[in-house]
Amino acid sequence: MIELSGLRYRNIRIDSLTIPPGIISVIGPNGSGKTTLLRLCSGIAVPETGMILINGKPSRETDVGWVNEFPDKNILFSRVSDELASAPRFSHQPCAETDSAVKNIAHQMNIAHLLDRTIKELSGGEKILVALASALVQHPKILVLDEYDSHLDETRCLQIEELIRTSGVPYVIRCTQQMETAARGDLLLVMEDGRVTLSGKPVQVFASLDQTPFYPMSWRCKV
Amino acid sequence: MRLQLNAAHANRGEWSLAAEGTFGEGVHLVSGDVGSGKSTLALMMAGLLSHSDGTIVREGIRSSMISLQFPEYHLTGSTVAEECRSWGLNPETILSEIMLLDKQHRAPLTLSRGELKRLHLACVLAKKYDLLLLDEPFSSLDAREKERICRLISQRTSGITVLFTHEQTIFPLVDHLWEIEQNVLIERGELPDALSHWSHAPVLIQKLIASGKRLKNISPSDLQEAVCRT
Repeated sequence: MIELSGLRYRNIRIDSLTIPPGIISVIGPNGSGKTTLLRLCSGIAVPETGMILINGKPSRETDVGWVNEFPDKNILFSRVSDELASAPRFSHQPCAETDSAVKNIAHQMNIAHLLDRTIKELSGGEKILVALASALVQHPKILVLDEYDSHLDETRCLQIEELIRTSGVPYVIRCTQQMETAARGDLLLVMEDGRVTLSGKPVQVFASLDQTPFYPMSWRCKV
Repeated sequence: MRLQLNAAHANRGEWSLAAEGTFGEGVHLVSGDVGSGKSTLALMMAGLLSHSDGTIVREGIRSSMISLQFPEYHLTGSTVAEECRSWGLNPETILSEIMLLDKQHRAPLTLSRGELKRLHLACVLAKKYDLLLLDEPFSSLDAREKERICRLISQRTSGITVLFTHEQTIFPLVDHLWEIEQNVLIERGELPDALSHWSHAPVLIQKLIASGKRLKNISPSDLQEAVCRT
């Protein structure tokens, strides 16, 4: 379980929230605190007071994969193959294992053709795919995705979701502005002004949002 | 007014993009897979990327603007208010419209990404350009803001507007559809007829068409109307 208690950080106010394993989607208006909550869950930011525990451990003691929505902030190296190898290399994995991990994830993500490219040569969507592959290469316990789907087509998003489901990452927390993506998750959190105002299964939460633009268009159109 | 691409090619190493076609006044939508060359085409149409072959003719276009995929690339002001001034705009007018007036003294990069995109689009859409190229304009925006931007785009009464996007559900009224497939720009034609040939159509639109719904256009109200009508 991910347990948040007495959490205070900038405008974030979450008194108590328990998140079970699965794919958790976070939605809400611009500026409501989605990215800040994701930064706290990933350990990039540390609560001013209160705590976040992932299976009983603080975020910073957990293996985390993180994908920033602005991928240039995520990427450290100039070559795609070096970027994918960065996490295994930083954790001193043997060269042969690193090479095979890089090849595997590139193959699974369908980006093997990008391995010899430089980051500068990539499109915005390709940078997101590289950032996502780098986050997944070492099988994190929690994968945190900040609007990765803004720059990807729907087919790619569905392929990636399938890959994430089968990869066995216990917790995936993602914020999204695509309500169809949010509708496919296991749990949905709605944020407003730094607080989680609704949480539950997507079908329950969206039932309270049916008069707003946040209701999934495909549900409105009944397809 | 029109922008004409005559066998214009962009090359990057072994990768290339071939573009042929005429963009007249109205709203155009260009779709294609990740890495297919949408941003490259946008840069080429804006005149920011030189084409290796062919010609690009701009007829009657006196002003043009490109909104890049990532709003960070546009920033020049060190505060939100300065950013508005750098576009020659009055910060109070712009920021009260997008509810960011209370953040006018903040550094733009401390805004949330959605707020930054809102700021950037407000600056872009405050002026009239004959050619307006919008690369992923809806990324990071919440559903309410996407609908507002769509209304503003649909209200443009003159000029050429080209959207390059992966958006799945919220679109403005679109006049003309294009796709990039296997490194070639393909003209699908006017809506609604073009919709049946749209190979990158979002799943929702594919399903509506497959279930026999007749779409007049792809704005949220058109989608709902099609559902209710038949």
